[in-house]
Amino acid sequence: MKNWLEVYSIVDFISVGLLLTAVTLNAFKSIESYVKAYTINSWLLACLVAAVAILMDEPHLYVAALLTAATKGALIPIILRKIIKQMRITHIIQPAISNAFSLAVSSLLVAVVYASLKTGITVTGFSRNVLQIAIAVILISLFIMITRKKALVMVMGLLFMENGLFLAGFSLTFGMPTIIELGVLFDVLMGVIILGIFAVQIRRTFASADLDNLTVLKG
Amino acid sequence: MEYSQFLIIIFFSPLVNGVIKKLKAYMQGRVGAGVLQPYYDLLRLFKKGMVVSRVTSWIFAAAPFVVFTSAAAAALLVPVLTTQSVFTMMGDVIALIAVFALGRFFMALAGLDAGTAFGGEGSSREMTVAILVEPMMMLALFTAAITAGSTNIARIVDAQHAISSPSHLLAFAALMVAITAETGRVPVDNPDTHLELTMIHEGMILEYSGRYLALMEWAHYIKQMVLFTLAIDIFFPMGIARITGTVGLALSAGVYAGKMLGFCIVMAAVESTRAKVRFFQLPGILGGAFVLAFLSLVTHIMMGK
Repeated sequence: MKNWLEVYSIVDFISVGLLLTAVTLNAFKSIESYVKAYTINSWLLACLVAAVAILMDEPHLYVAALLTAATKGALIPIILRKIIKQMRITHIIQPAISNAFSLAVSSLLVAVVYASLKTGITVTGFSRNVLQIAIAVILISLFIMITRKKALVMVMGLLFMENGLFLAGFSLTFGMPTIIELGVLFDVLMGVIILGIFAVQIRRTFASADLDNLTVLKG
Repeated sequence: MEYSQFLIIIFFSPLVNGVIKKLKAYMQGRVGAGVLQPYYDLLRLFKKGMVVSRVTSWIFAAAPFVVFTSAAAAALLVPVLTTQSVFTMMGDVIALIAVFALGRFFMALAGLDAGTAFGGEGSSREMTVAILVEPMMMLALFTAAITAGSTNIARIVDAQHAISSPSHLLAFAALMVAITAETGRVPVDNPDTHLELTMIHEGMILEYSGRYLALMEWAHYIKQMVLFTLAIDIFFPMGIARITGTVGLALSAGVYAGKMLGFCIVMAAVESTRAKVRFFQLPGILGGAFVLAFLSLVTHIMMGK
């Protein structure tokens, strides 16, 4: 199993998959596909953690993998779907710029990250490419948050960013102690619920979750 | 013997198209025409007389020959059964794409030459697709070329065994999209119809009949099989002969036939399950595939494999 993982460079495949799910966000038009992409991203993250656990003989990482799969892979998507149903939103996401342009920008972001972290960092020794991918995911999700108008899509961007941060931390330190990870997961869960309620409230008050409308509140 | 491997592509390419059509018919619950139907079609067209519009210039008459010759020249460049062939030293992936571009250029000119609305429409669309597809194909092939340290197709084939890194997987995905666009298949174009206003390839050759049409169609079959062979060579080269013994070549031929059949099944499945997209949505799909190709190159440079 261990050899098999190493020979076929499974860690690299999974991390590129993580990057790909983040990049595809730029091409999607419906909020449903965002949730799907997030689910896939989270499962890939859990797989990566599990693969590293096997590769490096670090049993405590199994717990982290299980927790990631359970909360980010199952619980959060269910909550998100519930919120979407509650808000009865139309499935169209209106980006401030065109999808093609936003794809181009995000691929440039990847190139910039790769160019600036040329040698890679091998603190933990399972791969020297994971950190770049993590930072690229963070930047892409930041970009998504900047260019999308709907409140819920911004929440999705935030969730993706959290996945990227988890990946970055993981590639540098083998993951934080389990208790801290538990805390972070709980935070994310609470965050999703609160932001969901918040988005529903925005919609109820302004009849739209378009955050551009909030600018009229300025004095 | 190894010098004549391009003849396999030239003479079996109608069969490949026939097989794809048969598989499609099977998947859609129809009986479909026999796998040899493209040969009968070509024979019939070669026998028939031609109707050439009086307003056409010499370009209209020259285009079928240029298109056919460029497709045949492309067939020379790809290794089919063995990588040991003198012809593969004549050109590399860049030359291959240039040869395709020459054929496409003349086909587009011929479409415009007859002065009909459909021809011009087809040419304009073909060129729009081409500017999106060509760079994408280049990037995807360059990813493989960097691994081999050479743009020569035979050397690229020699250098690898199967998809073994994420960057090659991305490049393969991008190349598949490029191939569906280049061969005029769903979701980019519909190869089965002459009657839709959305057609691209069929629009350009609408004015042709008889021998010229046969050459155009044959050239299209050849181009399709060259592209399939290229994808097979570069991303699934296991089983291709590196020597020129008879036994090796025979084995290689068997493996090649199997891989080509697999490719046909994939193509037929894609065609049967997808719908053709609106033309103005194409830049979205092709742009996405371009990003894939770009990421594959960047990832390859980064990961060093």
